[in-house]
Amino acid sequence: MNRLIKNELTKIFKKKNLYITLMVILAFVILTNCIYKFFYHTGSYDEYTDKYIEYAKEELVKLDPNKPSDTKMYIEMKTQIDVYDLSQKYEKNSWQRSVLSAQVSSYVNQKNTYLYGENKDPEKVTEIEKELNEIIEKLDRGDWKYFAQKEFEQAKTTCRELEEQKAKTEDKQELQSLEIAIKNAKIDQEVAEIRISKDIIYGNDFRNTALGSYQAESKNIINMESEIQELDYKGKQTYNKSLEKREISQYILENNVDINKTNDLRGILKDIFSEYGLFIIVMIVMIAGTIVSEEFNKGTIKLLLVKPYTRNKILFAKFATVLIMIMFSIFAVVAMEIIVGGVIFGLDSLSVPILQYNFTTGNLETLNVFEFLGIQILTQLPKMILLATLAFACSTLFTNSAVAIALPLLGFMSADTINLLVIQFKVQFMRIFVSMNWNFEEYLYGNLPKMEGMTFGFSVVICLLYWVVMFIPTFIAFQKKNIKNI
Amino acid sequence: MGKTILKCENLNKKFGKKQILKNVSFEMQEGDILGFIGPNGAGKTTTIKLILGLQNITEGKVRINDFDVEKQFTKAIKKVGAIVENPDLYMYLSGNENLRLIANLYQGIDQTRINEVVRLVKLENRIHDKVSKYSLGMRQRLGIAQAILHRPNLLILDEPTNGLDPEGIKEMRELLIDLAQKEKMAILISSHNLAELDNFCNKVCIIKNGQIIETSDLSRIKKEAGKNFKLLEVEDSKKVQKLFPEAIIINKNQIKIQLEKEQIPELIQKLVENQIKIYEVKTEEKSLEQAFFEKTGGNVIE
Repeated sequence: MNRLIKNELTKIFKKKNLYITLMVILAFVILTNCIYKFFYHTGSYDEYTDKYIEYAKEELVKLDPNKPSDTKMYIEMKTQIDVYDLSQKYEKNSWQRSVLSAQVSSYVNQKNTYLYGENKDPEKVTEIEKELNEIIEKLDRGDWKYFAQKEFEQAKTTCRELEEQKAKTEDKQELQSLEIAIKNAKIDQEVAEIRISKDIIYGNDFRNTALGSYQAESKNIINMESEIQELDYKGKQTYNKSLEKREISQYILENNVDINKTNDLRGILKDIFSEYGLFIIVMIVMIAGTIVSEEFNKGTIKLLLVKPYTRNKILFAKFATVLIMIMFSIFAVVAMEIIVGGVIFGLDSLSVPILQYNFTTGNLETLNVFEFLGIQILTQLPKMILLATLAFACSTLFTNSAVAIALPLLGFMSADTINLLVIQFKVQFMRIFVSMNWNFEEYLYGNLPKMEGMTFGFSVVICLLYWVVMFIPTFIAFQKKNIKNI
Repeated sequence: MGKTILKCENLNKKFGKKQILKNVSFEMQEGDILGFIGPNGAGKTTTIKLILGLQNITEGKVRINDFDVEKQFTKAIKKVGAIVENPDLYMYLSGNENLRLIANLYQGIDQTRINEVVRLVKLENRIHDKVSKYSLGMRQRLGIAQAILHRPNLLILDEPTNGLDPEGIKEMRELLIDLAQKEKMAILISSHNLAELDNFCNKVCIIKNGQIIETSDLSRIKKEAGKNFKLLEVEDSKKVQKLFPEAIIINKNQIKIQLEKEQIPELIQKLVENQIKIYEVKTEEKSLEQAFFEKTGGNVIE
C-alpha cells in the first residue's frame, strides 16, 4: 500500500503540470502582495470629487433661488460648493477636511438657508458667518480638540434635554423611545470622551475607524436590544455581528493595535482562503480529476492492474494520494504567502494576535496567527475533501479528465450563489444540500449558523453522507470495470 | 513434461448478447513458447485480458500457477509479466524511472536487477532519457524490461515485435528463447507477424471468431499443410506446362511442380533438351502464414 502511494506521488511530482500550476499561483501571490503593498489606500475624505463640483457649478447658474421649485436644490448645491471651496486650503486626507464635512457643513447649510430660502434673515446670516469664521480659525490653528470638546458638549446637552423630557412624559411607549435616545446620546458622549482621552485626531486611520465602528455598533446593539424578543433569525445574526465588531473595536481602542489591518502579511494570511481559495481548489481538483482518468486514457491502468494488488487497494492508494496532495496544496500556498509576504511586508505583523469573539462566553479570545491558520485549515478541509472526492469519483466513473475537473469547479463556484438564495428565501429542505454544510467555520465560538436549526452534528452527518455516496460507488464501479481496448 | 503454468478452461466472454469467446481452452507448461494466432477481432486480446483479470470472465476458469485468477488474483498474478496491446509507459518519466515504479511494487527488486534487465534488452545507453523521446522499438524493449523485471514464470506478450527493426526482432527472438530455456519461463505471444512466430514457437494456438480451431505443435501443422512442391523460375512458364501438364503456373516466369528430390535432374535435363532457359529450382517452404490461412480460411469478423 505504501509502495503504491509512493509511486503515485512520484508520478505527480514528476509531471510538469504541477509545477506550471504552482508557478501561476506564485505569480498571483506576488501580484496580490504587491497590490496590497503599493496600491492600497483607504478612501479619501473628499466628499465631492472635482468633477462633481464642476458640474454643480454649471447647474447652479441655471437654477433660480427665487423660484420656489428650485430653492431647495439651489441651497443644497451651494452648500456643497461652499464646503468644497473651504476644504481646498487644507491638505488632502487632513483632519480638517473630515471635520469640515462632518461638522461644519451644517453651519454652511444654515447660512445658505437664511440667504436664499423663503425666510431670509440677514441678521442670522451675519451671526452664523461669525461662528463660521471662528470655526475656520480653529481649523487653521489645528485645534482639533476644540471640535471633540464641542461634540462632547453637544452630546451632553442632548442627553440632559432628553432626561428632562423623560421626567415629564408618562406615556409608556414614548418613555421607552426616549430611553433609547438617551442611551444613544450617552454613546456619542462616550465616544467624544474616548477621543479626547486617547488623543485620537480626526482622520481615517484605524483608530478613527475603530471609534466610528464602536459608535455605530453600540447604537445598533442598543436599538436591537430594545426589541430583542422580536428579532428574527437574521436579526439575531446581525446582532451577533454587531456584538463582535463592538468588542473588537473596543480592543483596538484600548490596546492601540490595528487588528483589522488587511495590507500586511498577517492580514493576507488571515484571509488566505478567500484570497487564494480558488487556486487551492483548482490545484486539488486538477490532481484528483486526473489521477485515475489519465491512467485510463494513456492505457497505463493495465500496467497497474496486472500487479499483485487488489483493485480496491490500488484505488484507495490513489485516494490517499489525493488527501496528501490536499495538504500539500494548502501548505504550498501558505508557505508561498509567508515567503512572498515576508519579503514584501516583513514578518513583524505576525506577532499581532488574531481576535475571535466567543458568543457563548462573551469574551474575546486571542490566537496567534498560526493557531488561527490551523483552525482555518481544519474548517476548510471538509469542503476540499468533498470537492476532491467528487473530482476523483468523476475521474474514475467517466474516465474523462475534462468532466472530472469541470464539474467540481462548477460546484465550487455556484455553491455561494446557491447558499445565498437558499438563505434569502428560507428554502428549508435545502439545508441538506452539501454546500450549506461544508463550511465548519461558522460553528466555532458559538456563532449562529447560516440557517436556523442547523447544528454541528447535523453538518457532520450531511458531509459524511455526501462523501459516502460518492466514495462507495466509485470503488464498486472500479472493482467491476472491464478494461476495454485503449 | 514440465509443470503446468497456465490453464484456461472453457473460457466464455459475452459483451451484452454478443459472444466474444466460446469455450476457449488451452494449457502451457514451463518453457513453452505459445504462438497465439488469429485474424483481427478473433478474440486474442480479449483472451489475454481475461487471463490477466482485466476483464470479467463470463464463464470458465483461468488458473495461473494453480491459483484461480478471479478468486486469488494477487497470488495468481504475482509471477506474471505482461504487455497488453502496447507497452504501457509513463511518457514524462525516464526509462529508469518507469522501471523503478514497477520495481517498487514488488519486493526485493533493486537497482542491480534493473540494470541487469536494462542490459538484457540493450537499452543501457538511453535508459535515463525521457520515454517520450524513445522510438517505438525502444518503447517495445522497455515494455519487455518492465514485464520481466520481477522474474515472472509466465510472460504474456501482445504483439511484442511491433515496431522493431529486423535486427531488433532477431534480438528479441533470441532473448525470448533464452528466457524460455534458462528461466523456464512460459511465454505466450500473440502476433500478426506470422513469419516472426514461425521460427521460435513450439506450440501454436489458432483462434477464429472466438473459438480455438487448432492447438498443436508447430511442426505438425506445417507438415500437414505443406506438400512437396518445387518452385521453378524459367524463361516461359507456358512452354514448361506443355511438357508437364500437371504443373501449376504462378506467373510468366514462375511455375510449380510436385516432385521428389530425385526427379529434379531429370526435369532439368528435359528442359534443357527442349531449349527452355531455367534460372532456379527450389523447394517451396510452407510458412506458418500459409498454414494459418489454410486453417482460418481468411478473415471474417462476426
